[in-house]
Amino acid sequence: MDPLLRPGHNAPHLPAAMGPGYADVFDRLSRQGGRVETTGTNALPTFDAHAGAKQASFQPYQNNGGSVVAVAGKDFCVVASDTRFGLGFAVPTRMISRNLVLNDKVVLATAGMQADTCTLHKVLRIRLDMYRQNHGKDMSLGAVSQLLSNTLYYKRFFPYYTFNVLGGVDENGEGFCYGYDAIGSHEKVKVVCTGSSQSLIQPVLDNQVDGKQMYDGQPVAELSLEQTVELVKDCFSSAGERDIYTVGLDGRGQPPLYVKILKLAFVLTSHPLRSKYTRSHFIQGQSPAVRDSQTTTDTYFT
Amino acid sequence: MSILEYNGGCVVAMAGKECVAIAADRRLGIQLQTLACDANRVFRMHDKLFLGLTGLMTDITSLHNSFDFKLNMYSMREGRLMSPQTFSSLVASTLYEKRFGPYFSEPVIAGLNKDNTPFLCAMDLLGAAAYADDFVVSGTCAESLFGTCETFYRPDLGPDDLFETISQAMLSALDRDCISGWGVTVHIITPEGVTAKSLKARMD
Amino acid sequence: MELGFLDRPHGAGGVRVTGAALVDELGYSLGCDRMHPTGAPVLTAPPGDAPASFLTEAFRGQDDHALKFLHGTTTLAFVFQGGVVVAVDSRASMGQYIGSGSVRKIIEINPYLLGTMAGGAADCSFWERDLGRRCRLYELRNKERISVAAASKLLANTVYGYKGMGLSMGTMITGWDKTGPNLFYVDNDGTRLKGHKFSVGSGSTYAYGVLDQGYHWDLTVEDALELGRRSIFHATHRDAASGGFINVYHVKEDGWVNISHEDSGMTKYYEYKAQSAAVDSTAMES
Repeated sequence: MDPLLRPGHNAPHLPAAMGPGYADVFDRLSRQGGRVETTGTNALPTFDAHAGAKQASFQPYQNNGGSVVAVAGKDFCVVASDTRFGLGFAVPTRMISRNLVLNDKVVLATAGMQADTCTLHKVLRIRLDMYRQNHGKDMSLGAVSQLLSNTLYYKRFFPYYTFNVLGGVDENGEGFCYGYDAIGSHEKVKVVCTGSSQSLIQPVLDNQVDGKQMYDGQPVAELSLEQTVELVKDCFSSAGERDIYTVGLDGRGQPPLYVKILKLAFVLTSHPLRSKYTRSHFIQGQSPAVRDSQTTTDTYFT
Repeated sequence: MSILEYNGGCVVAMAGKECVAIAADRRLGIQLQTLACDANRVFRMHDKLFLGLTGLMTDITSLHNSFDFKLNMYSMREGRLMSPQTFSSLVASTLYEKRFGPYFSEPVIAGLNKDNTPFLCAMDLLGAAAYADDFVVSGTCAESLFGTCETFYRPDLGPDDLFETISQAMLSALDRDCISGWGVTVHIITPEGVTAKSLKARMD
Repeated sequence: MELGFLDRPHGAGGVRVTGAALVDELGYSLGCDRMHPTGAPVLTAPPGDAPASFLTEAFRGQDDHALKFLHGTTTLAFVFQGGVVVAVDSRASMGQYIGSGSVRKIIEINPYLLGTMAGGAADCSFWERDLGRRCRLYELRNKERISVAAASKLLANTVYGYKGMGLSMGTMITGWDKTGPNLFYVDNDGTRLKGHKFSVGSGSTYAYGVLDQGYHWDLTVEDALELGRRSIFHATHRDAASGGFINVYHVKEDGWVNISHEDSGMTKYYEYKAQSAAVDSTAMES
């Protein structure tokens, strides 16, 4: 058997990648009018006999949408994700979990492609199990954050199509979260959102949790655990109104949102969302930018 | 990069109780290069009608001039001011006239009706109008603005609360967009008159 | 250990395996378990013979969903009589969206070596972290610190091995060794240049303008730090892909010092504006 076609062996060493690779092989076979179907760890291209000499492009990715949020407090971290599984304009299911409880202090939430999410979660679970057996203790939040980064980067040239947030409580009992891009660039933060609603939710969290628009450097009041959960729920219900890839209210008034709260031990809960205009979070207090605003034109009178 | 994002910029308008607010950023850039921080993309058509234009600045200028001209002609001929509803139809048909070689600009219309109820409308660059009773957004950070407005907006706000709400929604969204910002103007339109304010915003 | 997945049809087979065998069995899916003879990790290559265009091809016709990585930057470093000044912004953009406003683009490789980050955030932080590991190994083997020249060459050689694969990295490696202060520019093509003054990133042209205007070998430490800060500030003002905070480091004989972390678009802008207003009014009076 051609070693290049052996399933699960498409991870050549560096020099191999510089030489003839898969595209070449498939190209050759398809020129002969053959139909090649292979199975393996990764989705491989299928060539249609009718395609003749045409080179079909390799499309290993699909976006299943979803958004994930993590907000850290003084001694807790809330990790939340919606549960909508999208496939183009179809919704095969509204009940998938994007969250993975890694141990009782660390939770991972992943948006993007579901198949890659599953694989990534499997890899991490194995790594954490091995660590637990070798060291007789759970991996700390900081160590998990670096492991995840490396795991993502090792697939730098064929990335996992996943957008991760990692949340948890560190050795000192303080809550933290980490946001990632698809290839492992990460940052330790107090609040983060990725996935399809990233650009809708992140500015709201910047404003409400980080107090980013409170420009005079006054520290903003820290949210309590209950306030944080309410805020996260409101963010999802807002995003659901405008983003078709993130779930809002569903038909039965039971909009699913998985929220995991870590407070030394995690609590797993599923929360209903509120409808529009009944959300608890809104502008509180005045932004200094608004206070310092200058009235440039005098009032016009009709 | 889409030609609609060539110069950057965004506009948002919100309805309150007998008042509307319209906010826009001040940046004029060429892709990533910031040229000016004093661009205007919100225009007073009359005291109860404002037009915000996002997209390509050269088309914004052309459209503004063209609408000014058309509104003047209308008020001279009719002896009255154009209603927001009529104006939105005018904008829509003006844009659709160029269906196959469009102006690269997406308008936002904010005003008060005759009975001082708020009027809001947003359009795509071909003139497909979308009317709303809460808020409308347009421009390079439209998604972020949807997120912030959707969370912060409350119905029936008075002029002061509306100003605070639209300002924070705008500033929060701008701070996540590379090619909008460098100053914000907010116009609050009430039956008593219009107030224009400029916000202290991030300059990077 | 939870091995339930092994029983599933798509698992690694129905046999119960030990930890070590598991790595072999799943060697591929666990990612990188191989090392290059130089000690650098070897990354999984994409299928196909055009690694650099793999992602473009994979997302052809679905632009909305295409993978975007963190990019965009202004970074600079220069050598002067008092050592090396390194100054950077903190914005990471994904397209026009600001992915983060608080990225640490100065990477502390070890207490006397600094690297900067421009281009792909993941590429820079991964390889510079790896560089730190290899510099430490060098120290343990040779009982002395690695020179800046050698460290930068390790990095340049590593990324040269991935030439044509689409890495994106524009970095400056700087530090103080036996030969004094040193500054090298290394990028993803494998380019490695020794120099006195570099600026890298989308805002570098703006930074160079200010830097060239104010640079002099004999600058005092205070003036040099302010020059670095000013250069980054003006770049963040004009370049949309740069912004956030200005981070400044100073490399001295006994290692680097973290000098300052200031908000560029708010605090610094209005501070500089007030300063120049004060200068203007003094000029008017005289």
